[in-house]
Amino acid sequence: MSLTNTETVATAAGNAAAAPPADRRGGGGSWRGHAERHALLGLLVAVVAFFSLYPDSAQTFFTSSNASMLLGNQSVVALLALAVILPLVTGYFDFSLGAVAALSSVLTAGLMSFHGWSLWAAVAVSVAAGAAIGAVNGLLVTRFGLNSFVTTLGMATLLGGLVQWYTGGQTILAGIDPALPQFGSATWLGLPRVVFIVALATVVLWYLLAHTPFGRRLYAIGSNPRSARLVGVRVDRSAWTTFVMAGALAGVAGVLQLARAGSATADNGTGLLFPALAAAFLGATAVVPGFFNPVGTIIGVLFVSVSVSGLTLSGASSWASPVFNGAALLVAVGLSTYLGRARGVRTG
Amino acid sequence: MTSTETAPVATDVVLRITGMTKRFGATTALDGADLALRAGTVHALVGGNGCGKSTTIKVLAGVHRADAGRIEVAGSVWTAAGYDARAGRAAGLRFVHQDLGLFPELSVAENFALDAGYPAAGPGISWRRLHQRVAGLLEAYEIDASPRTPAGALRPSQRTLVAIARALQDQERDQQLVLVLDEPTATLPQHESQLLLDAVRRRADRGQTVLMVSHRMAEVLSVSDDFTVFRDGRTVATLAGVRPTERQLVDLMSGTATGAATQPAAASAPAGPATAEPAVLEVAGLVGGPLRGVDLAVRRGEIVGVAGLVGSGRTSLLKTVFGQHEPVAGSVRVDGAPAAPGTPARMAAGIAYVPEDRGGEAAFPDLTLRENLSATVLRRYWRPWGMARRRERAEARGLIGAHAVKAASSEVPFAALSGGNQQKAVLARWLRREPQVLLLDEPTQGVDVMSRGDIYRTVRDVAAGGCAVVVASSDLIELYALCDRVVVLRDGRIATEVSGSQLTPDHLTELTQSTAGPVPAPGGTR
Repeated sequence: MSLTNTETVATAAGNAAAAPPADRRGGGGSWRGHAERHALLGLLVAVVAFFSLYPDSAQTFFTSSNASMLLGNQSVVALLALAVILPLVTGYFDFSLGAVAALSSVLTAGLMSFHGWSLWAAVAVSVAAGAAIGAVNGLLVTRFGLNSFVTTLGMATLLGGLVQWYTGGQTILAGIDPALPQFGSATWLGLPRVVFIVALATVVLWYLLAHTPFGRRLYAIGSNPRSARLVGVRVDRSAWTTFVMAGALAGVAGVLQLARAGSATADNGTGLLFPALAAAFLGATAVVPGFFNPVGTIIGVLFVSVSVSGLTLSGASSWASPVFNGAALLVAVGLSTYLGRARGVRTG
Repeated sequence: MTSTETAPVATDVVLRITGMTKRFGATTALDGADLALRAGTVHALVGGNGCGKSTTIKVLAGVHRADAGRIEVAGSVWTAAGYDARAGRAAGLRFVHQDLGLFPELSVAENFALDAGYPAAGPGISWRRLHQRVAGLLEAYEIDASPRTPAGALRPSQRTLVAIARALQDQERDQQLVLVLDEPTATLPQHESQLLLDAVRRRADRGQTVLMVSHRMAEVLSVSDDFTVFRDGRTVATLAGVRPTERQLVDLMSGTATGAATQPAAASAPAGPATAEPAVLEVAGLVGGPLRGVDLAVRRGEIVGVAGLVGSGRTSLLKTVFGQHEPVAGSVRVDGAPAAPGTPARMAAGIAYVPEDRGGEAAFPDLTLRENLSATVLRRYWRPWGMARRRERAEARGLIGAHAVKAASSEVPFAALSGGNQQKAVLARWLRREPQVLLLDEPTQGVDVMSRGDIYRTVRDVAAGGCAVVVASSDLIELYALCDRVVVLRDGRIATEVSGSQLTPDHLTELTQSTAGPVPAPGGTR
C-alpha cells in the first residue's frame, strides 16, 4: 500500500517542483500552509506506524498480504470517491453514484449470466448505463434546476429498487466470464491489478481538473456560478458533463466490484457511497486545502481504510468500521468548511 | 417660488424635521435639512442623486441616527440622538420601502398576520377571523384580491398596495398614522405606477398623510399637494399647496436657473477626437426585457455613458449586448459584422463586460487572485502537458503591477482584497483580452477614491488605444468625468443624448429626472 501512496504523492510533488515559488493557496509559503496541505498525509503515516507497532496488530498489520488485500478491497471505494468529487467540484452532490455502481455490477453479471453476453459487451453496456444515469441526473439538476441533494437521493432509491427487481433479490453467482474474477484477484508487481486502474483514474482526473481549462472552469463554477457565466463559461453544460463522467466512473467501479467479489449481490450501494463521501471530504482538507481534489481523495480513502483495518486487526468489533467512517465524514466536513472560511478571512 | 413659503399652521403639521445633519466620514449627507408635513396631504420629497432624501428616510426609520437636529412627530419632540425606530413607530410613522418585504409564497392574509399577529382560537389560529379582517382591509384599500391569494400572484401595483395596507392595518379612526413611501414606483411599469398612485391619492383624499420619495417627476406632480426639494443635503425649497411645473422642480433640484439649461450652448461640436472614427459597436432596435428599441453606435476610442433611473434598462442593455439575454428583436454588430448570440461568441467578437455586482457576478472569492485574472484567458495557458503555471503566474504578477492592484502576491484568495483592488483586478481580467468593446456597469461602485482615479485613468488609456467604451452609471459626476457623450435611457429607449459643453452633471440630473419629453435635446432647434 505504501507503494501506491508514494506514487500518487510523487506526482503531486513533481507538480509542485515544476513551480518553485510554490504554494498554490492562501497559506502562502507559511508554516501553516504546509501543515494544512500535508496534515492528512502525516496522519496516515502516523496511523500506519501506530498499528505496525501496536502489539495487538503488529503481527498481521504491516504485512504485504494485508496491504495487498486492503488496497484491492479499497479500489472500488477509491474509484467511487473519485467519481463523487467531479460533481462536488462544481458544487453539486451526486448521492446516486453508489447505486449506479451497484447497478453496473449487477447488470454486468446479469447480462453475462441471464443473456449470455460477452464480457466486453456487458462491461461496455454497464458503463454506458452509468453515464446515461449521470446524464439524466445532470439534466434534472442543471437544466431543470432541481435540488441535486434530493434528486440524486431519489435516483439512488429508484436504482436500488431496479436492482432488486432485476436480480429478484438473489446474488448472481453463475455464468460470469471467469476472466473477470481472475483479473480482480491477479497481481502485478506485487500489487492487485485493480490498484493500477485506480492509479490511472487518479492521474487522468488530476490532469483533467488541475491542468486543463475545462478543470479550471469547473472550479470557477464551484466558486461562483454567476461569475463563471459572465466570463463565458457554459455553466450548465459543464456541470452536466461532470455528472456524466461521474456516472461512467461509477459504472467502472461497479465492474471492478464484480471483478473483486466474483459475484453480484442485490445491493443499493449505500455501503460503498458513504466511505467514498467521507474520503472525498477528507481529501478536500489535503493537498489543495478547501477544494475537492483527486490526490487528496486517494489519501482520504487510504486513511479511512488503513485506520479501520488496524482497528479490526487489533480486535475491535464490526461496529468499529461504520463508527469510524461516520466520524471521519463529520470531522472532514467540519474541517473543510472551517478551512474554507479561514481562507476568506486570512488576508495576504 | 424658490424661497421657503410661509410654514403651514403649526397644529396642522404631523411631522417636522428641523436642522437635520448627518455625516458619513468625510461626506455630509444632510446639512441642516428641514421638512414639514401637513396632516392629510401627500408630500413629495424630491432631489437628485445624493441630495439626502434617502438618508432622511433612513433617519426617520431609525436605520441611521442623525448627528444633529430635531424631529417632531404628532406633538412629541426628540433630539437627533434620542430618536430611534421604536419612537417613530410609537408616534405613528409607517414605512413601505422599495423592497416591500412581502412573502410571495404566503397568502395575502398570512402576510398581514405575520406583521400584526394571528388571531387565536383556543390553541390554534382562527383562520376565519383572520380572513374576515383581511378581506375588510383589502376592500378598504381597493385591492381586488382574496385573502387566500399568494402575495406573489398579485399584480405589481397591488403588491405595493398590500404592503401599504399591511403597514397601516392598525390605524384606528382617531389615530393619524403617517405613511412613508420610499420610491414606491421605481420598479413598476408605467401603467402599474399610475394604478398605484391613483389608489394612494384616493387614500389621501380620505385623510391619509403620506410622505413620498420618488425620482419620477410626472408621478410626483400628479399626486402631491406639497413639495420639499433637497439639494446637497439642504432644503432648497418648500412648496405647500402650490403646484409647480416639472420644469420648475427640476431646476430647483439641479440648481440651474430656469431657461439656462434650455439654451443650447453655441452649437458646440459634439466632443471628441473620435468623430471621424468608424463605429465599432452598433446596436439597432434592441428589444427585450425593459428595452423597447435601443439604437446606439459607439466609435473607436469613444467613451459613451448610459444614464437613466433605476429600472430604465441600463444593466439590461449591457447584458444583452454581452449575450447574457437573448433579445426579442434587434441586432448587435461589432466592426460591422453581426455578433452571434451567447456570451462566449460575444467574447470572441471582442466584447468585454464588467458587471455591477462585483461580489455576486464577477468574483471567484475563494480562488486566488491569479485564477481570477486568468478566468477569461484560460485556453492561452493550456499545453498538452498541462497548464503553463509559471507563465500564468508571471503574467498575473505583471497585471497586478500594471493595474496597481494591492495584494501580497498573486496567490492570495480574491476575497482577501479590498473592493477597489477587486474591481481593478476584474477590469484587468478583461483588458488582457484586448477587447474592442468594453462594457462597464457601475465601474466604481463601492470603490475608494484612490482606486477610482486609477480606474478612470485605465479606462481613458484603453479608449485612447482604440477601444469603444460604454459606461452605465447612476453616478452622474462619474459620467461627466469620464465620457465623451452620454445617452439617457428612459422607458427602455434612448430619450436624448448630450456631449461637449452640454455634458454637465446638472444638465444630466435634469435629463435623467424629467419623465416627459419637454426637455429640449441639446443642440436642438430652440
